[in-house]
Amino acid sequence: MKTAMEIRDAIRDGKMTAVEALENSLKVIKEKNDDLFAFVEVFEEDARKAAQAIDGMKAEGKELPRLAGIPVAIKDNMLYQGHTVTSGSNILKEYVAGYNSTVVQRLIDAGAIIVGRTNMDDAAMGSSTETSVHGITKNPWNDDVVPGGSSGGSAVAVASGMVPFALGSDTGGSIRQPAALCGIVGMKPSYGHVSRYGLIAFASSLDQIGPLATTVADAALLLEVIEGRDEMDATTLDLKQTTTAELLETSFEGMKIGVAKQFFAEGLDESVKEKTQEAIELMKVNGAEIVEVDFTLMKYSLPTYYILNPAEASSNLARLDGMRYGTRAEGALMESYKTARGLGFGREVKRRIILGTHILSAGYYDAYYKKALAVRTAIKDELNEVMKSVDVLVTPTTTTTAWKFGEKMDDPLAMYLADIYTVSANIAGTPGISVPSGMIDGLPVGLQFLAGSGQDHKVFKAAAAYEKLVDWPQVAK
Amino acid sequence: MSDFNIERLEELARLSLTEEERESFKKDLPAILKYVSQLQEVDTSHIEASAYVTDAQNVMRTDEIQSISDEDRKELVNAFPQKMGDALKVPHVFE
Repeated sequence: MKTAMEIRDAIRDGKMTAVEALENSLKVIKEKNDDLFAFVEVFEEDARKAAQAIDGMKAEGKELPRLAGIPVAIKDNMLYQGHTVTSGSNILKEYVAGYNSTVVQRLIDAGAIIVGRTNMDDAAMGSSTETSVHGITKNPWNDDVVPGGSSGGSAVAVASGMVPFALGSDTGGSIRQPAALCGIVGMKPSYGHVSRYGLIAFASSLDQIGPLATTVADAALLLEVIEGRDEMDATTLDLKQTTTAELLETSFEGMKIGVAKQFFAEGLDESVKEKTQEAIELMKVNGAEIVEVDFTLMKYSLPTYYILNPAEASSNLARLDGMRYGTRAEGALMESYKTARGLGFGREVKRRIILGTHILSAGYYDAYYKKALAVRTAIKDELNEVMKSVDVLVTPTTTTTAWKFGEKMDDPLAMYLADIYTVSANIAGTPGISVPSGMIDGLPVGLQFLAGSGQDHKVFKAAAAYEKLVDWPQVAK
Repeated sequence: MSDFNIERLEELARLSLTEEERESFKKDLPAILKYVSQLQEVDTSHIEASAYVTDAQNVMRTDEIQSISDEDRKELVNAFPQKMGDALKVPHVFE
């Protein structure tokens, strides 16, 4: 599989047509998707038309847009007009998008070819892609283990060579964690970096859309196209070229890299710890200044998250009641609501709605929700303070490599802990990227770089510098 | 602090649980609430709760009607689970 940049250049130089690029992608999907189930649906006909249109532009000698002819996958929670979008949920199983999300519109405008929608945990609540109403997605490195989640389908589509890059969404680690477990690059931008208009909302103060790719430059290329101000999402910021794929020529020389012991404490698998330490040593040998820092509130990020996330989800998901769209249940009003939602959501979604409703109910609001908002401020302030003394923090992305199917399904807290190293960036609204740092027993391990708010270019630069020094795992199988 | 009445929460959330889910949540939820309660250790007396992580203040735009094409309108109407003509049909709200 070529990288997105190679495909872009080949099409521009007339060495490959957009239709050929698409057919290559479809061929791999046909070979592997029955087994891996990365894609819930392939938009073959529409993708072919779009690719033909790009080839038509090329033939007419028109200037090609930035992503002209490059196949891309979208997570099944991003609206693409006229196409089914389910968020992995039964309640939206038949829902057809009535309009384009901003990210999809920007992909179309940039000439990218949207190949299909990828599998995800039910309503994006999960870290293993086991709870989708459509079925499980397998890790391309080993059939018996999970790909991570919730953007597991996008991670597998990229890691197995079906598409060069894909979009995911990250509320607590849902881009970075599956990227780590599948051996690819996954990046969560700063809060406000990318519009969520037309993204099926989960926890709005935490959700960000971001890229998954096999190279750092490809991830930056995809982010460049979707980022920036959008009138339809009032949280978006007016950004000016924060990430420019062509500017990733970089090294660790003179870079200050923070290491916080809180990311190496109890719960971290010994072999993942070793891999991370090897990576840090490599950075040091190559000119980075390694600085010990203290992120004392890091351990409160996950408990803060499990108050804010269910609280926001219980409110956001109230719109899914089968009245205006989705699947309606029979009966009088109250009965119709309760039945449609009871049948429409899986167990984890119900667990969080009930938990969030409890947290927000009279008598509990101050003790849980308001407290969590205050702790969030403290975490955000401390992380941004730490980032003043270094360029980036380096951490493991996850505590372990991918685990066996079913292993954490009966223990919600164990599943939640899968996000322990990624979630601080969502709580603080800061950027993070996961890159492959090697293999343990045939399974990929991820390394994470974090930076301060709006410093997205710094995590890209550190990741690009690291990429140059190591042989990343090639596309699986 | 971790007392909760699951049947009441089902009413508030407009969400029916199966008996099996109810029993399972009665076990899971206290464990999750106990886990998140460690936040009580953090002294936040001097910190303001913020619902928001960026410095953006109220972002205003003019309240204008934006027209959409007939085709777009049709797609939105098509998403209605039940309809009468082009109108969304819902159960009685008032008895």
